[in-house]
Amino acid sequence: MQLQVNHLTKVYPGKKGLLPTTFTVEKGELIAIVGHNGAGKSTLLKMLAHWLVPDGGAVRVEGVDLKNRLALVRKMGFVPETPNLFDLFSVEYNLKLFARLFRVPFSRVEETLKEFNLLSHRRHNIIDLSKGLKQRVSIGRSLLADPPLLLFDEPTSGLDFEMTKDIYTLLQRLHASGKTILFTSHRPEEIKTLATRIMVLHQGGLVFDGPPGDYFQSNIHENLYA
Amino acid sequence: MIRNMITLMSNDLATAFKNKTLYLILFTPLFVFLALQFVDQTDTGHRKIKIGLIEKAAYPPAMLRSIRSADQAFEAVWLADEAEGKAWLKEKKGDGILRPSGKEPQRLELIVLTKASFQTIAIVEGVAALQNSVEGDRPHWISEIQPIRESTVLQQTRPTWILMLVLLVGFIVLPAQIAEEKEKKLLLGLLQTPIREMEWLLAKIFSGMILIGASVLFLHLLGRLPLELGSGASYIAFLIAGAFCFSAFGVFVGFLCRTQASARTLGVLFYLPHLLPSALSEFSQKLTAVAPFLPSYPFYEPIRSILLEGNRLSNFFLEWVYLVSVGLAACFFSYILMKKRWLM
Repeated sequence: MQLQVNHLTKVYPGKKGLLPTTFTVEKGELIAIVGHNGAGKSTLLKMLAHWLVPDGGAVRVEGVDLKNRLALVRKMGFVPETPNLFDLFSVEYNLKLFARLFRVPFSRVEETLKEFNLLSHRRHNIIDLSKGLKQRVSIGRSLLADPPLLLFDEPTSGLDFEMTKDIYTLLQRLHASGKTILFTSHRPEEIKTLATRIMVLHQGGLVFDGPPGDYFQSNIHENLYA
Repeated sequence: MIRNMITLMSNDLATAFKNKTLYLILFTPLFVFLALQFVDQTDTGHRKIKIGLIEKAAYPPAMLRSIRSADQAFEAVWLADEAEGKAWLKEKKGDGILRPSGKEPQRLELIVLTKASFQTIAIVEGVAALQNSVEGDRPHWISEIQPIRESTVLQQTRPTWILMLVLLVGFIVLPAQIAEEKEKKLLLGLLQTPIREMEWLLAKIFSGMILIGASVLFLHLLGRLPLELGSGASYIAFLIAGAFCFSAFGVFVGFLCRTQASARTLGVLFYLPHLLPSALSEFSQKLTAVAPFLPSYPFYEPIRSILLEGNRLSNFFLEWVYLVSVGLAACFFSYILMKKRWLM
């Protein structure tokens, strides 16, 4: 198994955060994590991405413990809901900065610019880009080191229809190329068309974990989004 | 329209309260006022002038009598010799020393720390008034003024400007920069790469030190201020220690804040109390007594002493160690906060 999560917990003062959660992920899965705001979806991904320090539990990615951040950053890429790029610098600068930190050659930056249709925007400052373009740069950046596991937090949040379609296509392409993907979502159409497995979080606890067919046949979806 | 404006203004004021900008607005004038109270009221107005007299020297008897009789304005302090007197002046225990003039008998030389100071003017005016009341219109008792520190205003105030630049980068620039990186999740983005927390921390501290170095160098170039070789090395050693200390301190302050606005406010709350007592200690005995309790003083005083009095690092080795220790402690606490992803 590629990812093993064992009783991972995060408690915020006065809030649930994430109750002890256990699951495993096999290589090549495309998992949608769904649930209301505050259900613990982002908390789960942020703990996996070292954005938050867990209160308890253990995580192993391809056998490497979560505490070994330096080893894991090459195995796991994280794309946050709001792109966290250096706004006052160009697309190329941002990618080159991270390429330098990942110690990957600049030719990888050229490949990323081409792969994500960013060649014409390479000299544009991030602050001048649309949210969709920023999201593309953010995804491109997370793929610089070619990690086998990708985490997306609400990848289509705030995007228009065309941009959303672009992101779907991109996720499918990445999945087809053998990447394992976990993404959080509010949109049933994303869950239906993309996911190979669905995990439902409710009030910090995992209440469903199974294939999309089972999810849509059960009354969980209706209860959740009624 | 007015209702909307009132709603928006209330929101702005509530935001200012939330991000502590309100404290900044109130604190700045309050602190300047309090600091100037020390300078203006006690030092130049009602305080007695402490005048040093050399025990073995021969003074005009009329002058001695008039100084003793004017005990509301002058306090005469007898000193063993001129060397003791100069040390007494440097410690700011007195305002000036009167000694017989070597060139003109029956006249005196006034030794002061700096020529252009409130104390010098007060002594000259006070002694002149005494003489007028005793002797009338005769040649002035004080024939010349000898400053211990012979320098231009820029040279004299250079330690203050250097302290200001170091603290500005440490408490204003760095905390806001770090809070911005936290606020925009840029730091977390960087931690998605194989960099160590300590690498990021040291890079930030060194960037602060480089900014300080560049600004101080610019000050030297603008003022065409020369450095002697020996004291220059001591000065650079202290500048490096101070830049390290206050850059690390600034990084720590940045970690205590979630937003840029609160970092700016907190930065100023650290900046002014570190700057003013040390920088104004030259003008006030009370501030001289308060300033040593601040971490900025072990930086300011050696820099001042090295630049203006030609002292060396060896005279202030404990202060140098203190600065480096404070920097290391701030660095350690920042590292702990970073590991905990504090307010990120």
